Amino acid sequence: MEPQTKRWKGSACDADSWVPYPVLSDEQSQDVELVDAFAAPITNKKATSRLVRELNALYPLSGLQHIKRVRACKDENGPHPLQVLLCLVSDAPDMKVVSIDSLLPSDGAKWEGLGEPFVVQIPAWPPLTRPQFELASRRWPTSFHEDKQVTVALKGELFGPQQKAMMHLYMMAALTAAKAAKDLGMEAVGAVVVDPEKEQIIAVGHDCRGNHPLHHAVMVCIDLVAQSQGSGCYRFDSFTACSFTSPKINASNPEVGPRPYICTGYDLYVTREPCVMCAMALVHSRIGRVFYGTASADGALGTKFKIHSRKDLNHRFEVFRGVLSDQCEHLNRM
Amino acid sequence: MGSEEGENPDSLERFCPTDEEIEKWMCSAFEMARDALENGEVPVGCLMVYKDEVVGRGRNEVNETKNATRHAEMVSLDQVLDWCRHSNLDTKSVCEQTVLYVTVEPCIMCAAALRLVNIPVVAYGCRNERFGGCGSVLDISSADLPHTGTTFKCVSGHRAEEAIEMLKTFYKQENPNAPKPKPRKD
Ligand SMILES: [Zn+2]
Ligand SMILES: [Zn+2]
Repeated sequence: MEPQTKRWKGSACDADSWVPYPVLSDEQSQDVELVDAFAAPITNKKATSRLVRELNALYPLSGLQHIKRVRACKDENGPHPLQVLLCLVSDAPDMKVVSIDSLLPSDGAKWEGLGEPFVVQIPAWPPLTRPQFELASRRWPTSFHEDKQVTVALKGELFGPQQKAMMHLYMMAALTAAKAAKDLGMEAVGAVVVDPEKEQIIAVGHDCRGNHPLHHAVMVCIDLVAQSQGSGCYRFDSFTACSFTSPKINASNPEVGPRPYICTGYDLYVTREPCVMCAMALVHSRIGRVFYGTASADGALGTKFKIHSRKDLNHRFEVFRGVLSDQCEHLNRM
Repeated sequence: MGSEEGENPDSLERFCPTDEEIEKWMCSAFEMARDALENGEVPVGCLMVYKDEVVGRGRNEVNETKNATRHAEMVSLDQVLDWCRHSNLDTKSVCEQTVLYVTVEPCIMCAAALRLVNIPVVAYGCRNERFGGCGSVLDISSADLPHTGTTFKCVSGHRAEEAIEMLKTFYKQENPNAPKPKPRKD
């Protein structure tokens, strides 16, 4: 039962025609949330470090460790090139008129060197991605612990030509399976499970909804993986485009290395974004990564939900969309 | 096959199980759950009832099949499909009049599966804090998903403490099939 990878008509391996983009969590992809704060110009530059020390003691800005207390003013030719954050508007005392005296307890010469306060909007959360960081920094200087891999992935540059060639191969197998499903009167969806370390295709499946309303391509693949591990509970023998291969084991010493456990460490390639059932089935199966071609209307890995990135579920995985997107899109029009 | 208008509220009312029915069918669902526990599976059991007849029953079979989707609901849905085939009845019109009795709130996957086959009512015991798809983690049962079957109604709470106790007993034992968790760097 060797999974076959037939050539797809009219699809020269053009690795430049598609780019895999990451499907990030809501926290990573949302707009920068802002919160109102009072700031004031520093009229006496020499007083800066003293003022910062005093302000930190009075208003520590807890929970806003990503915010820098002082910023250089945009208008460098203005009279006061530095501005300092006083406090969040929500932390300020009740006052009739906004002034330094009503914001800060009058205490001799302590606050000398501060100009009249004004309201600014500052980022409420630390930025998680470079685009968020760039937006946040435009509001107020913000520190950023960059996840380089996310930055590279967002530029579509995470995978090199060789990796893209392998991804192309795997998605072609999924496309071939999708075509077979279509020929059988099922939905044109195909999926492939891969062991990325051994570069081995473990399972090829396609939509079998005509037989069973829940046999979406992903569900078929999950059972084929179980079959590759000597178990599973269905037979897909009558569907010649559905197949599995037993994982390679270390021949010299089969006891060495972890035994395959459900879909741990495996990648899934699927022509279109999985539905809620399939996405959660992949969480239960501990899939490693998911690559899909095109989005789907009720999709659960980016469109309607981001099941793969929820902190309240016990397994999370990376998702990339756009692999062979044109060919996958074409399936919907067949 | 006399399938009636699906979304008719009167017909939904008719399928809403009475307390007596819940008590009667849940009793069998709990037996299934206990069987799962005795066999090293997550203790969840369920029953599918169509016109006062049990057309499917199931308990978790994840470890046995090495297929992590073999939850009680999925197992019993397979039996319902077989039953329809043998009785020469249309799956959709049977499912539209079938009530699921399950000891634990269906997970997100199962909730979506139940929608896809148009089950109208689910009676469950306790909440599923880890994976619940009827409100605990996500509310798939009522979510606006026009391409994912039909929404369903939930009746919850019957013998909830007992269902929780069984889950606690299971999670206290270690799952011998799962690899040791690696320390997570966060
Ligand atoms: Zn699906
Ligand atoms: Zn479930």
